[in-house]
Amino acid sequence: MLLTIAGMEVGIPLLADDSTTHSPEDIAFFEKNIRPLLVKHCYQCHADQQAKGGLRLDSRMAVRKGGDTRPAIVIGNPAKSLLVEAVDYQNPDLQMPPKKRISNSEIQLLKDWIQMGAPDPRASETATNLPTGMSIHEGRKFWSMQPVGKPPIPEVASTGINHQWTRNPVDSFLLAEMKKRGLSPAQPADRQTWIRRVTFDLLGLPPTAEEVRRFLDDRSPSAFENVVDRLLASPQYGVRWGRHWLDVVRYADSNGLDENLAFGNAWRYRDYVIQSLNDDKPVNQWVTEQLAGDLLPNANQETRTATGFLALGAKVLAEPDREKLTMDTIDEQLDTIGKTFLGLTLGCARCHDHKFDPIKQTDYYSLAAIFKNTKTFADSNTGAIKHWYEHSFATEAEQETVKQSESVIAKLKQKATDFKNAEYSRLRQQARTKVVDYLVAASGIEISDSLTEVAAQAEKFDLHPRILHHCRLHLHYQRENPLFEKWHTSIDSPDQIRQFYDNLFARVNAAWESTRKASPKANALEDSVLELARQALFDPVGFLAVPPKVEFAFDAQNLTKYSELLEKSRITESAAPDAAAAMGVTDGIIKESLPIHIRGNHRSLGDAVQREFPEVLRISTIRPVFPEHQSGRLELARWIVDSRNPLTARVFVNRIWRWHFGNGLVPSTENFGVLGERPSHPQLLNWLARRLMQSGWSIKDLHRLILTSSAYRMSSTPLETNNLLNPANRWLTHFPMRRLEAEEIRDSVLAVSNRLNRSLGGKTVPLRNRQFVFDHTSIDHTRYQSVRRAVYLPVIRNNLYTLFEQFDFPDPTLPTGNRSETTVAPQALLMLNSDWVMNSADDLAAQIVQFGGDNRQRCQKIYQRILGRDPTPDEIKRILEFIAQRPSSESAVAKQDSGMKSRPSAWSLVCQSLFCCNENLYLK
Amino acid sequence: MKPDLESRRWLLKSSALGFGNLALSAMLSSESEASPSDSPLAAKKPHFAPRAKRIVFLFMKGGPSHVDTFDPKPLLDRDHGKPLPFALPRVTFAKQGNLLKSPWKFQKHGQSGLPVSELFPNVAKHVDDMCMLRSVHGTNPAHGGALIKLHTGTDQFVRPSMGAWVTYGLGTENENLPAFVTVCPTLAHGGMNNWGGAFLPSYCQGTPIGNASISSSQAKVKHIRNQRIDKNTQRKQLDLIQAMNRDHMEKSEHNKNLEGRLESFELAYRMQTAMPEIQEINGESKQTIRQYGIDDPMTQNFGRQCLLARRFLERGVRFVQVTHSDSEVQWDQHGHLFQGHTKNAAEVDKPIAGFLADLKARGLLDDTLVLWGGEFGRTPTAQGSDGRDHNPHGFTMWMAGGGVKGGYTYGATDDYGYYAAENKMHVHDLHATLLHLLGLDHQRLTFRYAGREFRLTDVAGEVATPILA
Repeated sequence: MLLTIAGMEVGIPLLADDSTTHSPEDIAFFEKNIRPLLVKHCYQCHADQQAKGGLRLDSRMAVRKGGDTRPAIVIGNPAKSLLVEAVDYQNPDLQMPPKKRISNSEIQLLKDWIQMGAPDPRASETATNLPTGMSIHEGRKFWSMQPVGKPPIPEVASTGINHQWTRNPVDSFLLAEMKKRGLSPAQPADRQTWIRRVTFDLLGLPPTAEEVRRFLDDRSPSAFENVVDRLLASPQYGVRWGRHWLDVVRYADSNGLDENLAFGNAWRYRDYVIQSLNDDKPVNQWVTEQLAGDLLPNANQETRTATGFLALGAKVLAEPDREKLTMDTIDEQLDTIGKTFLGLTLGCARCHDHKFDPIKQTDYYSLAAIFKNTKTFADSNTGAIKHWYEHSFATEAEQETVKQSESVIAKLKQKATDFKNAEYSRLRQQARTKVVDYLVAASGIEISDSLTEVAAQAEKFDLHPRILHHCRLHLHYQRENPLFEKWHTSIDSPDQIRQFYDNLFARVNAAWESTRKASPKANALEDSVLELARQALFDPVGFLAVPPKVEFAFDAQNLTKYSELLEKSRITESAAPDAAAAMGVTDGIIKESLPIHIRGNHRSLGDAVQREFPEVLRISTIRPVFPEHQSGRLELARWIVDSRNPLTARVFVNRIWRWHFGNGLVPSTENFGVLGERPSHPQLLNWLARRLMQSGWSIKDLHRLILTSSAYRMSSTPLETNNLLNPANRWLTHFPMRRLEAEEIRDSVLAVSNRLNRSLGGKTVPLRNRQFVFDHTSIDHTRYQSVRRAVYLPVIRNNLYTLFEQFDFPDPTLPTGNRSETTVAPQALLMLNSDWVMNSADDLAAQIVQFGGDNRQRCQKIYQRILGRDPTPDEIKRILEFIAQRPSSESAVAKQDSGMKSRPSAWSLVCQSLFCCNENLYLK
Repeated sequence: MKPDLESRRWLLKSSALGFGNLALSAMLSSESEASPSDSPLAAKKPHFAPRAKRIVFLFMKGGPSHVDTFDPKPLLDRDHGKPLPFALPRVTFAKQGNLLKSPWKFQKHGQSGLPVSELFPNVAKHVDDMCMLRSVHGTNPAHGGALIKLHTGTDQFVRPSMGAWVTYGLGTENENLPAFVTVCPTLAHGGMNNWGGAFLPSYCQGTPIGNASISSSQAKVKHIRNQRIDKNTQRKQLDLIQAMNRDHMEKSEHNKNLEGRLESFELAYRMQTAMPEIQEINGESKQTIRQYGIDDPMTQNFGRQCLLARRFLERGVRFVQVTHSDSEVQWDQHGHLFQGHTKNAAEVDKPIAGFLADLKARGLLDDTLVLWGGEFGRTPTAQGSDGRDHNPHGFTMWMAGGGVKGGYTYGATDDYGYYAAENKMHVHDLHATLLHLLGLDHQRLTFRYAGREFRLTDVAGEVATPILA
């Protein structure tokens, strides 16, 4: 593709050029001077299969055709030849060979050669065929690009066990595949297991003991359906499933990447997601809002907030190159859109045609054109840091309040700064009055002396140790300064130093005083020697420099005072209201086309392309018309959710399946391309996709279908006979056991200890919008002690909450539909030693003890609360033995360790043990 | 199912003790036996014979000036105050003025006669072990972008850090400790991404010990100690948990994760002893404490970091980073160059020299690669009257030990120190070279994510073979 573009620029005449027109002398010049030069400096990267930048220099035609940008030479015009520009090293973006400039004489030879018409006897060859992905034609035949179709439900059996097992079409599809392989589904799980499974699945919380009992007692035929309906109606459903979606859309409350500023308004998008799920908002509408909610005819606060989806990416906010920033941001948006909705790795086509999938670079820039028309950045900035765009919802009165609080913050900051400046002035003044003492004291120490030694000397003279330390080094490094000549020659005679500099600085002070008296605006002394001394004396970074770090400059008392002032302004800022606004995008300057960026380089532009959808996915040869006054996002959104788009519904139902069963029908949830995995049950996937669209894109409808299937009721223990025929449970013959996710671990511990606050929504990140999460001080002010659902804890990029980080919370910069499940020791440290686990165990233990009953009954209560079942007699025995050991009694605690916090009770240790045990952490 | 797993499963079912106890007793016997061979952290064979077995990165946050430390430029002295005789980069971070000569003198040192400025009198004594890389380039003009690029190879995406790649490639030689440790890292400018694992398995990510806002004497691994119960009590509690877990395994489908979880609790328990032991430096001799400058307030913070690095390295930790960073972005002297660099060098010169001497005395320097440097250098042109701007276009890092030539200089910047000019070493080349020294081929160390094979060096990187000893 690229080669074609470059070739078109070259035109035919050059390619037809014939070497026979050159004299034998010219050819000899080439052989003697040019060929060896090219071989030596260029062939390593620009010959044979190596064609970096698409450029080969090993044949006449290749040189003339050039690489990705343009022909390497302009015959007869060295000054205009790219080759000369590159070797000349004058363009910082184009310097070849990259490691070292070739000699001037070699450059001259190249110029001469081009000037004489670039004689070159090397045979013409056909251009290298760079690897490219599938053609559009092949691509249309690839499984995921084909229409969803209307797959028939397999007839498994009309009677018997199989008939009973197939409660709905999901079961039929699964059973049909099992039968083909001689497999059978596992036994149904017991009811206790099922209700725990489905409750965690839909709410991210364990069922209460009461809910378990009620379900066990419900013998009606609709008992299972009743539970599913009850759970889907709970607002906690949106909390759990909203979090799944937030994984995919790389949600975070801070920018991360280079400058970690708070996304103080991201929470509105988070709340929008949770609410949408609770409302069972149709998926097609939901997707459209997220891509183009600002452009909808009935756009409102809610739909504008939805465009936060496009704005949440991590951005290089301090990138000095604006154009690079713009294109990098678009790339992040396209990559996210591709992975989230289409299962396509669009980002791979930024620099070249996709290496595997039928996505061309032209497709990429046709989509990029839509986002080049979209405004993701505001016009404002704070220093080098650019601001992202936000939709403002604030009333004038609210804006007034915000202004007022900003002025309060500014005043508090000023107060801290004033204090600091005053203290620095005082320290400088103090140093100046003791200047001679500093010089005398400095003569008594060596440059290699440690600060400890310097401090001892400073104490003798009542000086600031760090100023003295700096003074000594300064005198050494600035030994050529005439002001210090006397000091260096008299270094062994402190008395001479004192005498000389007492005299000098007395004169300086006197002269300065009288000069100022005569002319208050004077800024120098006439006498050049005295002026040099005066300057040195008053130079804040001169030989009497006070350390810029307050910790090194201030005494303890002033340091505390200053820290208090700073802390006060910081806390006030963190708590100050923001003007109501949501992160999002809006339309910018509309252009109908965008040039291809050759090799993804914004400094190297190719042909312009119009706004379009990827060619392989076009459903009609009749092309849509994009509005000239809008970016085209709305058209893109509508195309993505068109029922004829083969990917959107497939990708979506596969996500839902993954979140229910722990594994997608297509395991690579973000990649439905060539390198992604193939579906285990393609017809089931198609059927579900169609069903989603038929139901009016209802997610809850899909949940009901899946959760009331026999497949979802299977035990996690496989039939022995299945094992060898069903590696990795690809044919889903048993329910896969899974570890609880980070949020489930935390929320369930808080829930069973009655600490969980289930309220929904609102701002929870304890920072003002655009406030630094981390500035240069690296101090972490974020706190996670809240007992609300984990979805409301701050998601800080670059410094995730430890619990999240340890328990496989996804990187919040990358779309993730398939969390991993790892087992590492720090998880155990967290469960064993962290405050929130131990505090929860304390609370639960206190409730259990208060509940009364004997130890046996307490055991029972604990097991019911945490594991949702009764303990066995052996288990009770084990707990009672543990309690009898009095593990937490006075004698067991190391007395010398007085720094310890209060000891937990034995019952607390029991509760914590149950929090930690596999039965609690793994769901069957 | 693999036969060995089958037999383990059989063992589990037939043994009254169950796997948990088997693993436990094995783990309590000795460290080497305690390492289950299928643990992801187990030491892995490199691609070819390595020159270095482990690596330590002494990171100078903020961008130390190369023309004031390790890359003398006589023409800069001569043309002080004149304009730069060639074009500035298209994008610069700040406005730059004319050429500014170095306030410090350079002197030749050692047998090799390599020049070092008087800012580093102690490090200078080790020049014969040091390999100057004077042509590093290609980070980013801003701190954040540059830090991420240096640590991960890209300034645009979140990608695994170099320590994570090394851990992925080589595992560790001590499974009681993390393979990749970063002491007092900065949380700004990329923060965790600079030691993160991104899409690599989570065991690859670095373990931070404290952060830049915490004195190195207070820096700890999170949750490394239970503050409410003593070890004996915790052991009893752990026995209770493991007994429950064994019961649960008996009743469950065979699942490696369940076994892994049992092991992870035991490892955590042992880490609680191993980690604080490393950080407890009271056993070190007075001489060592002095050598690292831990006895002096000027050098104690960084000195302790260097000593911790040695203690981690000698216990088999694969990748250790220590960061010299403070609330003033440390080496970022846009102004006050003289004062700032004077102080910064004074804080690290002695500790680094002590560290190199100590590694050498213990025979560790031969197979430990030491890397020193910042996220970029500084411009030879002035910012204000006494400052220098960021310069990612050509700067100096140095290596020592680990199979690189000592007393050797690789590459060069132009006459004024603005652009890398000879044997240019892009960040990708630096990464390729680091991996090569550790016995890893940067083109073969790949991980498949989102349908693509990823590398630390993306599609670039060339090993700087001339520096290999």
